[in-house]
Order: sequence, then structure tokens, then C-alpha cells
Amino acid sequence: MDAFVELSAELTGFSAEELRSTGLVEQYATLARGASDAEIIQLWYTGVWRGVIPSSRAYAEGLAWRAVGVAAPGTDGPGFGSWERRPRGSAS
Amino acid sequence: MRAVVVGAGFAGSLIAKVLGDNGFQVLVLEAGAQTDHDEAVRRFRTALVKTPLAPYRRTEAAPSSDYLVNTGPFAYSSPYLRMNGGTGTVWTGITPRMHPEDFRTADLGRGRNWPLSYDDLEPCYRAAEWEIGVAADADEQRLHVPVADGYVYPMHALPRTYLDHAVASVVDGAQIDGRELLLVGTPQARNGVPVSGYRPDGNRCAGFASCVPVCPEDAKYTPHRTQKRWSPNVELRTRCVVNRVHADEFGRVTKVSYQRYEDDTTGMHTRQEAEADVVVLAAHAIENAKLLLMSGLANSSDQVGRNLMDHPALLTWALMPHPIGPFRGPGSTTSIEAFRCGRDRATRAPFRIEIGNWGWGWSAGSPDSDTAEFVAAGLRGTALRRAVADRVGRQFTLQFEIEQEADPANRVTLGADRDAMGNPRPSIHYTLSDYVKDGLLAAKRVSDRIFELLGADDYTSYKPDEERYFEHNGEPLRHWGAGHGGGTHVMGSSPRDSVVDQWQRCWDHPNLYAVGCGSMPSLGTTNPSLTMAALALRTADHLVTAFSRATGRAVLAEPAGSRPPPR
Repeated sequence: MDAFVELSAELTGFSAEELRSTGLVEQYATLARGASDAEIIQLWYTGVWRGVIPSSRAYAEGLAWRAVGVAAPGTDGPGFGSWERRPRGSAS
Repeated sequence: MRAVVVGAGFAGSLIAKVLGDNGFQVLVLEAGAQTDHDEAVRRFRTALVKTPLAPYRRTEAAPSSDYLVNTGPFAYSSPYLRMNGGTGTVWTGITPRMHPEDFRTADLGRGRNWPLSYDDLEPCYRAAEWEIGVAADADEQRLHVPVADGYVYPMHALPRTYLDHAVASVVDGAQIDGRELLLVGTPQARNGVPVSGYRPDGNRCAGFASCVPVCPEDAKYTPHRTQKRWSPNVELRTRCVVNRVHADEFGRVTKVSYQRYEDDTTGMHTRQEAEADVVVLAAHAIENAKLLLMSGLANSSDQVGRNLMDHPALLTWALMPHPIGPFRGPGSTTSIEAFRCGRDRATRAPFRIEIGNWGWGWSAGSPDSDTAEFVAAGLRGTALRRAVADRVGRQFTLQFEIEQEADPANRVTLGADRDAMGNPRPSIHYTLSDYVKDGLLAAKRVSDRIFELLGADDYTSYKPDEERYFEHNGEPLRHWGAGHGGGTHVMGSSPRDSVVDQWQRCWDHPNLYAVGCGSMPSLGTTNPSLTMAALALRTADHLVTAFSRATGRAVLAEPAGSRPPPR
């Protein structure tokens, strides 16, 4: 498990702690056994595993959204009028 | 008075409400199944491609637009949903009014004139805006359409997106082709801050950024809201596919036949009938035409199914010079109205420009596509994270809605193929005229200029291997379907060349009405649902008056819409 988290952290640019906070480490470690680097990144960033999104959570926790600093559409309402505010700065 | 309404979508639900409030016995027959909001939200999240229909249950008995057969040179690609609430469940919730010019398109541009004017419809616009709950500022709307003095929308305009402010700070006051640009707030059927005296149904918009195809917060109007307020004499039956309307030898409609099903996976059904004093077809432009053709009714003009129109949309996409925080809040809260009207309309299709707040989601499949691109280029770790953040954080899209003129050659006919119930699949012959293509090309030129003004990095590209790609005057273009089908039972001032009169009553049948966007002789450049709602309320008032008179009963017609505007 730790080896998978370490590899994932190296590939995604998100810390082991950030990855663990998604609650998806176990599911992904099982799914991604023997997967290529690109497949592991795609799974973490988009929640897509070989053409399927395995759970709502996989979609909601997609790291691409987190990189941008926004919620995956349809998963969280940041509040009325929040869209008018200056977005937080760029990466990490 | 027994009314049968075919279709529990936008127009059908509104008309059923007014008829029910006025003592009609109303039976609403809906082809699709009942909606399950929570299931739709779940299915949206796990859908690989988040298309408008993805969250909703598909039945074999009443398939949605994915059962259309395209036979023309261009693919008609606009989706519609057969389910309780109809496409009004999926819609984006943008509710601009048509421009007065749009009712005289034949005189000013191409296509057909309406048998009524903007002024005739204006009171119904107000009623519709209060019935469905529209957030907008009347003074701001007066900058481009006439709005009655003293009128207030039921909710204040929604806050603009950060992107809107960034674009407006550069674009407002600039000129392109002698037209002054100005971002104007877009009226929205989405809950915001109510004005005094209006109590919104549902929650306030929390910015889930998934209005199409489902608002998890229930902040967007859908016909289910109107249905909740139906009186007890309105009965809804879902899973009932009407496949024939019957008329007697004098043309009076007497009853409808329908197929009732339980099983989603087969075409197994029982046959039933319902008698009616008046029948209202409100099943969507294409389904209304199909049903009239299957019934052999209303077609002495040979116009049923013809004049199929939509808004061929052009998308262009770019990066702002700095992060603007896309994918937060509604899909679009402002537009540029400067290209909707005027002289150019005589030579090329006019258009309206929406400022798109959901990155390149629709146009290019972001952020999945960006991630894939960077991974393929070898980016890993922090470099990948930064690249995605930088790319996606600056994305925006311009969406141009191009007017398409009524052309009798663009048409729905009954295909040879049958669906699981044995009903013909609609066959669509669809093309884009040079007038439309010239409009698309002009829109692309305007896009180039706007991106230049903004200092935006233009990433727009249309490639020959992509769907709906074409070339015009040697330039690559693409069109997208906006989901705004109309024209197929066109309204006019003469039974010789139109299907319905100004009340959406079929010329050939005194008690048969075909309502919805199918009645519209032109779509202008605006999302048509509000206009459909205004027409529906106008027709409902007419029905109440006409049929109360016919029975000699004094039924008081309450104002269309349950919350009359304060004037």
C-alpha cells in the first residue's frame, strides 16, 4: 500500500497525505495493480479507470479539479455568488 | 371539459396547470418514466461522458433523441429527453427574451414572420418569468430588449462570474465592425435573491456547475415545480406513449390511443385509449411532428415536420492571460447582444455570444483532455500538477448561437425503421444553408477579434476527423447542437402554409393544439424555452376562454402563471 502511495505521489505531484485524504488509496491500489504510469495518473486525475468511473467518489476526488482549486462539477456547491470571487492562484 | 395533454415537459406542465386551475379534467400522458433526481445526480457523477442524457434512465419503449435517424447532409445533433419533465429537466436554465426583430425574420432576414409581435407576447413573457422564476435586472435587459415600465423580475440578477468581470473590463465599449460591445447579464431560471413578494421554490443556486444536465441543489426551474402545484383534477400517467390522435369526419379530435408499458428493457405494452374534448400535443418539436404524421392529421398545408430549426452553435476556446477560476457557478451569466440585430441580418445569420464559464468542458473535454495531453508529453509529478492548474485555470469558451431560418427542406418524416413499440423512428433531413454558414464564419471572425482584445491565447481548432466538421469558403468550421429544436408544426397567419394559428391551434382541427418550440416560425438567437413558456401560457388562457364559452359555463380565467406579476 505504501509503495503504491509513494509511486502515486511521485507521478501526480500530490503528497501522500493529500492522496490518502481522498479515501481512494485502497480501491485504487487494487485496481491499478500492474497498471502503467499513465493509467495510474489518469485514474488519480480524472477518476477514470480503463473507460469507467468506478465510483462517484472517484469522480469527485479527481486531482485535476483539485489542481485547479475547484470542485468537480455536480459534487459541491461552494455557495451563492462564490463564482464572483477571485480564484486562488495557480499550482500547488 | 376533458383535456388530454401529451407530454409532461415545459409546455405541457404549464398548460395542464392553468387548465386544472380552471376546472378542466386534465389527463397528462407522458411517454417517459418518472424522474429520480438522486439517481440522476449519481449517474451524472459516474458517467464517463457527461452528455445531457447520461444521467437519465433510457427505456426501450420511449427512447430519447438517440433513436433519431439522420439522412441529410448534416447531422442533427441536438438532444431531447423523453421522461417526466422532458428536456426541461436537462435544460441550462437560460431565459432571454426574443428581440422584437426576431418576430419579423422574413422581412429583415430569412425565414418566416410570426403572426404575432413582440408586443403581443410581452405580457406573457412577464407571466412566464414569474411562473418559472427568472433572475434578471429589468434596467439591464432594457439595454437590448423592450421591457415594460415598472416591471420587476421576480429575482434580482445573479452575481456575475469572475470571468465576466475580467472580460467586461476589457471588452465593454470596444468596437467590432462598428458595433459597440457590452456584456449584459443573462436572465436565468435559477434561484437567486427574490424581490419583495416572491417566494422561490427550491434552494438558492450554490454553484454546483452542473446545471446541464442536473442541478443537485434543485436551484434551477424544471417542470416538476409546476407539477407540484397542479390541482387535484390534473392526473399524470407516465410510461404512456401516445401513438395516434383520432378525429371524426368533421375534423374534431375525439380521443387518443396510447401504449402503456412497465418494463424499461422491452417494448411490451398494453393498448389504451382516452377520450377528450380538447387535445394538446406538448411532446417536443420532433415528437409532436411524428405524432401528427402518424395520425395523418393537421397536414393540409404539407408543413408538418418541415422547417426544422435549431441553433447551430459555434464554440471557440482560449486561455485568459491570468487565472479566472472556471467551473464555478452557472455555465454562463453574461452575453454580448450586439450581433443579434441590424442590417447584417439581411445577408448572413445573426448571432448571440455567451461567455462560457465552464472552461473547455464542452468544447474540448477539459480537464481530462488536458491531463491526457500533458501525460502523453511526459509530464509527471509537480510539473504535471502545475501544468494542469495553469491550463485549466485560465480556460474559457465563447458560445455563438446562430439563427437558422425556417427551411421547408429541413424536415422530420417517419422513418422505415421501428422502435421497440413498433412506432416509426423519426427520420431527420437536415442541412445548413449558406446564410447560416456565413453567420458561423462571421461569428468566428468576431471571436478572433474578441480574443485579440483580451490578449487571450486562442486554442480553437476544427479538424476534418471531428464530428460535424465542415468547410465554408475554404475555412474550417464546426457546429454543435444547442438542443433548441423548433419549427416542425409552424405557426402562421394562413392555413395554406402553416400548421397552427397564433394560439397554437391546428388550422385543420378546432380542438387540437400543438404547442412548444415546434410552433415557432423563427428562433432568433435566444434560447427558446422562455418563449415556449410564454406561448404556452398564452395558449392556456385562450383555451380557458374558448372552452368556457363553448360550454356556456362561467369559469374565471385566473392570470396565466400562479404568481401574477405586480402590475
